Amino acid sequence: MGSNVLYVEDNPDNMMLVKRALEAHGYRLIQAVNGLEGVAVAENAEVDLILLDINLPDIDGYEVARRIRHSAKSALAYVPIIAITANALKGDAEKALAAGCDVYMSKPINIRELWARVEAYVPSRQ
Amino acid sequence: MPSKITAQDFAVSKTTSFLLELECSGCGKKFSFSKIHTYCPDCQSPLLARYDLEAVRQHVDRDALRQRHKGMWRWHELLPVQDPRNFVFLGEGDTALLELPRIGRDLGLANLYVKDESTNPTGSFKARGLAAAVSKAKELGIDRVIIPTAGNAGGAMAAYAARANIQAIIYMPKDTPRANIEESRMAGAEVVLVDGIISDAAGMAGEKARAEGWFDLSTFKEPYRVEGKKIMGYELAETLEWTLPDVIIYPTGGGTGLVGMWKAFEELEALGWLNSTKKPRMVAVQADGCAPVIKAFETGATFCDFWTNAHTIASGLRVPKSFADVLILEDLRASRGTAVAVSDASILEAQRQFGTLEGIFPAPEGAATLAALQTLVEQKWVDPEERIVLFNTGLGLKYLDQLG
Repeated sequence: MGSNVLYVEDNPDNMMLVKRALEAHGYRLIQAVNGLEGVAVAENAEVDLILLDINLPDIDGYEVARRIRHSAKSALAYVPIIAITANALKGDAEKALAAGCDVYMSKPINIRELWARVEAYVPSRQ
Repeated sequence: MPSKITAQDFAVSKTTSFLLELECSGCGKKFSFSKIHTYCPDCQSPLLARYDLEAVRQHVDRDALRQRHKGMWRWHELLPVQDPRNFVFLGEGDTALLELPRIGRDLGLANLYVKDESTNPTGSFKARGLAAAVSKAKELGIDRVIIPTAGNAGGAMAAYAARANIQAIIYMPKDTPRANIEESRMAGAEVVLVDGIISDAAGMAGEKARAEGWFDLSTFKEPYRVEGKKIMGYELAETLEWTLPDVIIYPTGGGTGLVGMWKAFEELEALGWLNSTKKPRMVAVQADGCAPVIKAFETGATFCDFWTNAHTIASGLRVPKSFADVLILEDLRASRGTAVAVSDASILEAQRQFGTLEGIFPAPEGAATLAALQTLVEQKWVDPEERIVLFNTGLGLKYLDQLG
């Protein structure tokens, strides 16, 4: 079984694109479609890496990152978080990093870059 | 030479374009050029236009190209527009390759030149890419275009869209040079000023495009701007009697010109049009306040990290991450080139040197190439006898508010 990647994303097209791309490289994708669900899944499932959209329908990705980093589940302090966003507000990359994300990627997501970044944190089993 | 030139006057051969297909630069998937495309839907990499170069070789006489009307469209067989009635022409292309004797003497360089792109319509190299992209958009029946810009691309898009009777919206940072804001409005475009930098403008423009069906002409998010830019490479080869310089020093924001010229050199090689197949070493220049390409090049990365807190007076270089970063890095390495970061102070000093020594008032991005050359001379990365070409990408007069 490959590593578990949680993707918190409300856009089904992006979710499908990333699911296909990561499963093709042997990762198992766990899906969450809003921020609160994302935090809950991170706390209750075995997660090796988190892909995090910033524009979410309930709490935004910054808040998701902060809650994950301050979770009672201590392992979540170190799980890699890659922010992936087409956010339109000034300084979103800086805010994502300040909230606890490790890397910032802008949409459209270049799949070769995504593979390389995920692989750098959690090797695939391919 | 007639005094009046219409766009159609450029089409002098039976086949206007030998465009064959579009190809994904990431996964190689092919796409038909007769449909509207943005970037690869599968791997989300830029698409590149591919031509039937064998047919071009058979049907186009390299040496006869000089006899055609001056301008970018005299290369129409290698451009993507198929009906000459769709050429949107404002006089773009065929910019001068000027010697820089006094600067060259100061630096101990015998063969230093600048390709002066400031004489293009709207005063910058952006005219080339937007002429190609707007013309192709017109051909594809697109009637609304949108663009995020650091400045000059917006002004160019507005002008070509007006000429093509296409509606235009432009998103630009609120601290964009005033000339860019006013020239865009003068050409009838709607201008939205953004509290942020080009990446913020790109986010907002992309959102508007998706929500309302505007066609996004962002750098490399459609396949044709790079085709217009590549003609800089063809012009260089022709001017230098079908040889290429030893070194090209190019200011790199989105990287369309760098990638485009390298594409031109590969096409020229495949066409067999070069008298010498020696290709130039490409140098990407960025500001030290926003240098994602330099960082990636130096660390051996195949793509760039998003540059945080980007700042520089050269607004065209304030690009935290290009959509074509993979291509830029591939081309730099394929050319055995390098990447150089320069300070804002050195850009201002180089701008002054261009003016006082050669009578050229370059855009800050163009001046950055001279600042980078000074570093390369100190490092002995260039030889005194090499043919070196700097690129001045625009008119310094458009940046007066930056000079204070």
